[in-house]
Amino acid sequence: MRWKLEVVGALVLVVLLQLQPATASGELRGPGTIRITDRQRSLDEVDLGVRGRSPGDVEITRWSLYNTRITPRPIGHAELVCTFTGRTSRSCNGTYVLPRGKLVVSGQILFRQFFQLAVVGGTGLYENVRGTLTVTALEGKRRGNLVLFRLVT
Amino acid sequence: MSSSWTLGRRVLAASATLALLIAIGFAILFLATSSLQDATSRERRSKDVTVATLALEKNVLDLDAGVRGFVVSGKPRLLAPWNRAGRELPTRIRVLQRLVRDDPAETRRVRGIVALVRAYQSDYAEPTIALARTFPAVVRTPLVASEGERRVDAIRKRFDALVSVETRRAAASAASARHQTRRAIAVALVGFGASTFLILLFGVYLARAVARPVREVAGGATRLAAGDLSARMTGSGPGEVGALMAAFNTMATSLEQNRAELESQYERLRRSDQLKSELVSMVAHEFRTPLTSILGFTNVMRKRTLSEEQRAQYLAIVEEQARRLSALIDDFLDVQRIEDGRLELKHELVDVGKLLREEARSFEVQTAQHSLELDLPDEALPVYGDSSRLLQVLGNLISNAIKYSPEGGEVQLVGARRDDTVYVGVRDHGVGIPVELQDRIFTKFFRGDANARGIAGTGLGLALARDIVEAHGGRMGFSSVLNRGSTFWVELPTADRAEPAQ
Repeated sequence: MRWKLEVVGALVLVVLLQLQPATASGELRGPGTIRITDRQRSLDEVDLGVRGRSPGDVEITRWSLYNTRITPRPIGHAELVCTFTGRTSRSCNGTYVLPRGKLVVSGQILFRQFFQLAVVGGTGLYENVRGTLTVTALEGKRRGNLVLFRLVT
Repeated sequence: MSSSWTLGRRVLAASATLALLIAIGFAILFLATSSLQDATSRERRSKDVTVATLALEKNVLDLDAGVRGFVVSGKPRLLAPWNRAGRELPTRIRVLQRLVRDDPAETRRVRGIVALVRAYQSDYAEPTIALARTFPAVVRTPLVASEGERRVDAIRKRFDALVSVETRRAAASAASARHQTRRAIAVALVGFGASTFLILLFGVYLARAVARPVREVAGGATRLAAGDLSARMTGSGPGEVGALMAAFNTMATSLEQNRAELESQYERLRRSDQLKSELVSMVAHEFRTPLTSILGFTNVMRKRTLSEEQRAQYLAIVEEQARRLSALIDDFLDVQRIEDGRLELKHELVDVGKLLREEARSFEVQTAQHSLELDLPDEALPVYGDSSRLLQVLGNLISNAIKYSPEGGEVQLVGARRDDTVYVGVRDHGVGIPVELQDRIFTKFFRGDANARGIAGTGLGLALARDIVEAHGGRMGFSSVLNRGSTFWVELPTADRAEPAQ
């Protein structure tokens, strides 16, 4: 039984290594980009202020993350907690969980179809990184978002 | 170069060396020209890559212009640049990729640019156009525009880097081409100079090795033709030229010797002619004396009445003078025979001692002033030969000894056997022969100062005697001291040594 577990563990390790983003190799040294896609899993809105969309409302979005050039299965997930500061503008904080670490993002979003957030830090491979996250909504067969991290150390 | 090499081999070797050097020069020039061609080709390729890069960059800018126009205006017709550039883009990329396919570094750069362009299209432009159709307000935010600028800037930086690299390469290739051009020109100039120098050197060598010696030979031949037979080639030349000069010298030496010989012969002939003239004069004189006696006495005998005793005396004188004339004629005929090679000798066993006794006895009765002393061994002195001719030789020697001792005196006749020879010596104590005349004493018709001394003769006796002795395989010589007398000797091979007649 134990040897089966060891084999499964080894396979998982191999898969995880294969699932890492194209540019992530070993340790992040210097500038780099991570290009993946996401697909929204859930969107929860909490109406905390005046009834209806109003400043103070909270929006919690969860995505599954994909690198379809490697595997059709999710390689990670992300969640973003946004507090509306206006009719459409919101202040967001979130975490993108990737195979070799987490990336923490923060910033203002006007439109969910195209937004840019600051990468304020990370863990694991992405410890102490900075940069930007650009999310672009995709149309057609590629439904979801294009997620592009531009990272510097 | 070996001195034994012929001129032909030297010229061939020099020509081959010259051709080799010129070939090396042309090879270097060819390499330099090839390098120049390579450099020019690299420069042209770099320019082509730059042109293709700029065309692709313009294509990308057209893409971006189309996106921006559509995003700002929302009018589909403003997407025309986007559509046109999108159609042209694959061709532009293929052209650029084909141009750089031989250069791995360039290929990587182009691949990076293409990836960025593709990413621009798929990750920015296409989503933005789609959003512009559905959510125009979204794409009109500065955020979208700055993202586009950011991507295009990144692409343009790559283009700039590629163009910069290609510009540097083109400049380097141009510099290399200029350098190769200068080098080719330098090589051509050096090669031309070296070839010219070598050709001149070769010409100088030919002039020194061939033309100059030939000119010398021609000059020498001209001098020879002008009569200067002392002309000689002092220098030396290679191979055939050296042989020509040596042959010329040999020819000149031969000509000089022949000329000297001819001159000598001419001198001898001239002297002989002179002697013959003298002979004619002398013969006329010699003939006149006995003829005058003969004519005088016969006239007296015819006109006068003589006693028997006087008649007998006169007839004896006439007979003697006639015999003298006959002897003279015989001598002349003998000379003629010897000169014509018609002298015939008998080959019989002769006792020279006996001949000497007979001849001494014969002369002894003819002179009262001289005493002939014979010194002969008891045994015979045998030789093979013609007794009459040997008698003629002995008679000549004794006659001369008597004639050239006008004061009279003793004449010694010695006969002896010495080893394989029979020796005969005739010694007088007469006038002797001056040293300066001794080397001509055997010359025909030469009489030295005999005429001045009033000594009769033809000048043929000694010459005839020596020819006869030598015809017998012997030799003849003399020693003489002026005013103290002479000794003439003859050596003949003994009959033991000489071969008898077959």
